[in-house]
Amino acid sequence: MSKKTLDPLLVNVAGHSECLLGNEAIVRGALEAGVAFASGYPGTPSSEVTDSFARIADQAGIIFEYSINEKIAVEMAFAASLAGARSIVAMKHLGLMYAGDPLSTIPYVGPVAGLVIVSAGDPSCRTSPNEQDQRWLGPMLHIPFLDPDSPAEAYAMTRFAFELSEKSRLPVILRPTTRVCHSRAVVQYGKLQEPRIGGFKKDPSRFVPIPVNARRLRSDLKDRVEIARDLIAHSEFIRVAGEGKTAILASGAPAGTTADLLTDLELNGKLKFITVGGVYPLPEDRIVEALAGVDRLLVVEELSSFLEDAVRSLCARHSLAIEELGKRTDHLREEFEYEPAQIRRAIYQGLELGPEPPPALEFETVPPRPPSLCPGCPHRASQYALRTVFGEDSLYFNDIGCYTLGYGPPLHTADALLCMGAGFTLAAGVARTTGQRTVGIMGDSTFFHSGMPPLLNAVKENVNMVAVILDNHVTGMTGFQESPTVNLVGDQFMREVSIAKVAEALGVRQVETVDPYDLPASLAVLKRAHEASGVSVVVFERTCPVHFARETHATYQQAVYAIDPSRCQTCAREDCGLRCSQEICTGFERHMAQARSLESGELPSNRPKEAPCATQCPLGLCIQGYTGHIAAGEYRAAFEQIMSRLPLPESVCRVCHHPCEQVCVRADIDEPVAINELKRFVIDWAHRNEQTYQPARDEMHGKKVAVVGAGPSGLAAAHDLILRGYQVSLYDAAEHPGGLLRYGIPDYRLPKEALARDIDRILAMGVEFIGGRRLGRDLHPEQLLKEGFDSVYLAVGAASGVALRLENSEAADAPVMIDALDYLNQVNSGKEMAKAHRVVVIGGGNAALDAARTARRLGAEQVIIAYRRRRQEMPAIEEEIKAAEAEGIEIQTQLQPQALCARQLQCLRTEAGDTDSSGRSRPVPIAGSELTLACDQIIAAIGQFPAADLLAEPGIEREEGGMFIVDAETGQTSMNNVFAGGDLVPGERTVTDAIAFGQRAAWGIDLSLRGQEAADGHRIPPRPGSAEPAGRPDVQRSDTMPRVSPAELTGPNRSEGFDEVVSVLTEAQARAEASRCMVCGLCGNCRTCLDLFGCPAFYVKDDQICIEPELCNGCGVCADLCPNGAIYKVSS
Amino acid sequence: MNASTKRLKILVAGVGGQGALTAARFLGDAAMAVNLPVIVGQLHGMSQRGGAVECSVIIGPGHSSHIGDGEADVVMGLEPLEAKRSLAKMSKHTKCVVNLGKIVPFSLAMRGESYPELEPILAYIRTVTPHLYTVDGPALVRQTGISRTLNVAMLGAVAGLDMLPFGHEVLWQAIEKKIPPRFLEVNRRAFDLGVSSVSQ
Repeated sequence: MSKKTLDPLLVNVAGHSECLLGNEAIVRGALEAGVAFASGYPGTPSSEVTDSFARIADQAGIIFEYSINEKIAVEMAFAASLAGARSIVAMKHLGLMYAGDPLSTIPYVGPVAGLVIVSAGDPSCRTSPNEQDQRWLGPMLHIPFLDPDSPAEAYAMTRFAFELSEKSRLPVILRPTTRVCHSRAVVQYGKLQEPRIGGFKKDPSRFVPIPVNARRLRSDLKDRVEIARDLIAHSEFIRVAGEGKTAILASGAPAGTTADLLTDLELNGKLKFITVGGVYPLPEDRIVEALAGVDRLLVVEELSSFLEDAVRSLCARHSLAIEELGKRTDHLREEFEYEPAQIRRAIYQGLELGPEPPPALEFETVPPRPPSLCPGCPHRASQYALRTVFGEDSLYFNDIGCYTLGYGPPLHTADALLCMGAGFTLAAGVARTTGQRTVGIMGDSTFFHSGMPPLLNAVKENVNMVAVILDNHVTGMTGFQESPTVNLVGDQFMREVSIAKVAEALGVRQVETVDPYDLPASLAVLKRAHEASGVSVVVFERTCPVHFARETHATYQQAVYAIDPSRCQTCAREDCGLRCSQEICTGFERHMAQARSLESGELPSNRPKEAPCATQCPLGLCIQGYTGHIAAGEYRAAFEQIMSRLPLPESVCRVCHHPCEQVCVRADIDEPVAINELKRFVIDWAHRNEQTYQPARDEMHGKKVAVVGAGPSGLAAAHDLILRGYQVSLYDAAEHPGGLLRYGIPDYRLPKEALARDIDRILAMGVEFIGGRRLGRDLHPEQLLKEGFDSVYLAVGAASGVALRLENSEAADAPVMIDALDYLNQVNSGKEMAKAHRVVVIGGGNAALDAARTARRLGAEQVIIAYRRRRQEMPAIEEEIKAAEAEGIEIQTQLQPQALCARQLQCLRTEAGDTDSSGRSRPVPIAGSELTLACDQIIAAIGQFPAADLLAEPGIEREEGGMFIVDAETGQTSMNNVFAGGDLVPGERTVTDAIAFGQRAAWGIDLSLRGQEAADGHRIPPRPGSAEPAGRPDVQRSDTMPRVSPAELTGPNRSEGFDEVVSVLTEAQARAEASRCMVCGLCGNCRTCLDLFGCPAFYVKDDQICIEPELCNGCGVCADLCPNGAIYKVSS
Repeated sequence: MNASTKRLKILVAGVGGQGALTAARFLGDAAMAVNLPVIVGQLHGMSQRGGAVECSVIIGPGHSSHIGDGEADVVMGLEPLEAKRSLAKMSKHTKCVVNLGKIVPFSLAMRGESYPELEPILAYIRTVTPHLYTVDGPALVRQTGISRTLNVAMLGAVAGLDMLPFGHEVLWQAIEKKIPPRFLEVNRRAFDLGVSSVSQ
């Protein structure tokens, strides 16, 4: 023996005492029996048997191995026994069943040198999927069975077991349960025995159990069992104490508990106490002898009525009239380990000792603290990535190991679990049965233990499954035993037998290995596996950090991360009152985290807090909010997110100029996200599924507001005012509400039914509509206030265009001139129009495009849009321009109309001059560049302005250009209680901006009538000042994906009718498109780290998520996935 | 010590990683050193992965490591909630030493909840036993400088109760044997601070 400290198990002094675990006591017993060979496979609660051998084998001069699995371990030990070495093999109960095949034949052949099989039992399933009572294997397989009640007895039984095995020529099973394995007690040593190896002596007629030999061996089994029975009968493991007519017979760990209870209850000596440590073959004569004079017997044993039934049979055969109590009489239950209180109750009840002690008190529950994957565990990172790519609906089949903890929240990677190696088999079986692509998960040790055959089986059947192997270089769960073929080289763990190569050799074509700490790479590898078919193997390889620290004496804590509270759970728009109060689902969080994980570039923690799209939305919609819900398939939540801010959803989702898409960060990667199409998908989904949503509404408080003008701005104001509890009268000069939406925008962009849904919803809320009343003619704000309205909102639109003056307009056969708004109004009102063949539309805005496309639909063979400036300066929505071109409309830019002649329009070319006040180049006509456009109709769309009389209201101050002067935040005019918006005030002329202004005015009116608190109690529209464009983060992404566009009408169906051109995204398209969103802004409702990742270093204090620095090991995976970029490295 | 059985039952309750198993083992070694029979139960199961851990130390003649309901003479609570979790094992005679250092159960974090207030936990324990002693573990750790001394400080506190059938130095010697020399001094300080924390 070396000079290093002598292991306590190797102290060779008889009479010396040590406080040993039951498992260690077994090892000491074996050493004293001269064991020469030990093998096993780790499994709680048996592991310290093999761990101890692993530690001392060299010093003790014995041969030891952790076998690849229990079947091999048993066969190795048996072989060693045949070679004349006393052998021991250890495993847990489940492992013994795995070794069932060799186990059932070994008794026939019988060992040469003593063979002891330690198979630890696990009552109460502390660390196992079942709690089988292995004792039945004794009679079933003719194997003597010993059941120790304490560590000291385990020690003594092991020594005895070798002798028993050799004398009976049978293997012996020692079955300690968890209570014995994992209790530490004083063991007094005997002398160690030198291991001896006798050598293999040929004896084929015994060692080769072909049928003829097997039959002979079977015949003498009975004799060998009788030898064992006799040895057990005379052993120290059958004990009888005390006297009396009542008796208790107990076995195994509960015998120890019972003995202590008898002492506590002062019953020692007052009844007969029989302890049975050798449970098979049962020493019947000894038992019958002990039962003499007994008339009542309580049998105390855990898990089944093995002894109780045997004793009952014995009494019947020996005609003993004994009342037997136990499980059959419900004095004790069958399942689980016994608490002392249960045995005490059985003793009181069964033996009639008087009133029972009172039952235990009930206490408040304490938050559970189940085991979890350690902070920094690679199994968390890999299973998180797996769930991210394969999603909620995939089926996951897990296996036995630390990673089984993926079962619970938040990973949820176990839809079924069976036994070692079954992760792949279950995945394959379900895949074959249902056709689904399934996921099987197991660790490296489990793969070698029993994962290779099912993988080969899956290859053979070309099963559609992904086999995931989590290689952490160690058998972790059972206490860091070696993983097959892993060696520490320097400070690195190297695997000699590559798992990937094994998989390839087994015929798997797609095998990839990835570091689970590299989240983007892991996601990419898993995506490829997800999209493939047949068997794919993904190996996640990273050394268990706990094992690494233990073996290399490196620190477990590689770095410490912390959370920046100014980013965590922070909505950057909260200060403008734009934070939503939505619950976000895990699908949403997964989408956010994935977006973040796939990015590189600027550190997430340095990026802007606001998404550019949100700051650019005039309505303050949280775009990443609803796209996230769509990506997660949570359409109702997306609908609520939109409806909480958007009063005219059907219209806006069709006609919005979507400034959000112009600033979309995704455009820097490939193309902007189709934000407005996604909104339309949700609105359409809600319509089809009859979903409605109304934001919170105040009680009506009796105050009245008149809204003049029922276009988008007036409708939005009316909608918001109703929600704020106002009685609203909505006036319009036209017969029907809608304004520009109804009379200006053609049906192929905004069908009347869709608009009607918007308007009907608002009217159904209680808005009173009065048509045919015109501002300046029938209505005056002062008069409305006198009539009893508390406030008035003027939101009239520009009903007519700016007149275009051209030379020679009286010329004969000159083309007919019409204003675009009049034209569109007439068409939209259903008026019959004279047919034009060649149309020139002058202008470059949306009205010009609408007019041109309408003219085309009315049968014009040639439609030309003539625009003064350059193409990129056209104010119309880009999609509209493209749609017009697709319909054969010609766009001629840099043309300045000059004069009319017969069936012709004369123009001058222009060139780009200085930048004007609009930021665009001023078009400068080029002298002598005249050209003519043949036409019979000219539609002028060069701008709109409200009719002069609308603006002639006395008492309201106007600016130089004639527009009302209003407060930009509230819409308040110079006249008390009169507010204005629509086209009566300066500002952007888009539907969405008009709606935003209407909402702002509703808030302004509320502010003036009910005060700040009430006004801010509702959604506050974004203030003009809050729309500072946020900086765009500098982000790269590891994947690209083109924008998904909805289907469009084509051919004559398109250009000859007024059916809606653009259809709705399909569900699959919408989800794919939504998942392109890069979630650039912070989310205030995010709990991704807790909801999806679940590292136990995280905790919550006063609603703030924190990282416990003592627990963080610095793996940094959380920082890669935090959607808000709130997690940063503090130190390394 | 329970008069009828002449056995002292000590329950060590904590969280995986706090050193509960080691502390229980030190108590067992100390008992052995003075030739007292002892049995230590460390049925940790899967709980070493940050889960709740409960160990028993029974000094005196006996076979089983079970501590039945209401039977603990001493409870060494390495963590407040874990002390509360083991209330069923306590009676009005139990002396309970609790470290005030909190470890937030992840089940609370998942629900977005903070660790409950400390005082109600202690008050609830007092409804079962008036013999509650608190040890300001975080302050002790600050004084000694390393967090791994906590279990030794708590052993000192248990020794300070003067319930053990051996002297403080016997327990210290059992600890001393298993600690690397460079950590001896800091652990001794922790042990002494633990002793003095309950003997006021």
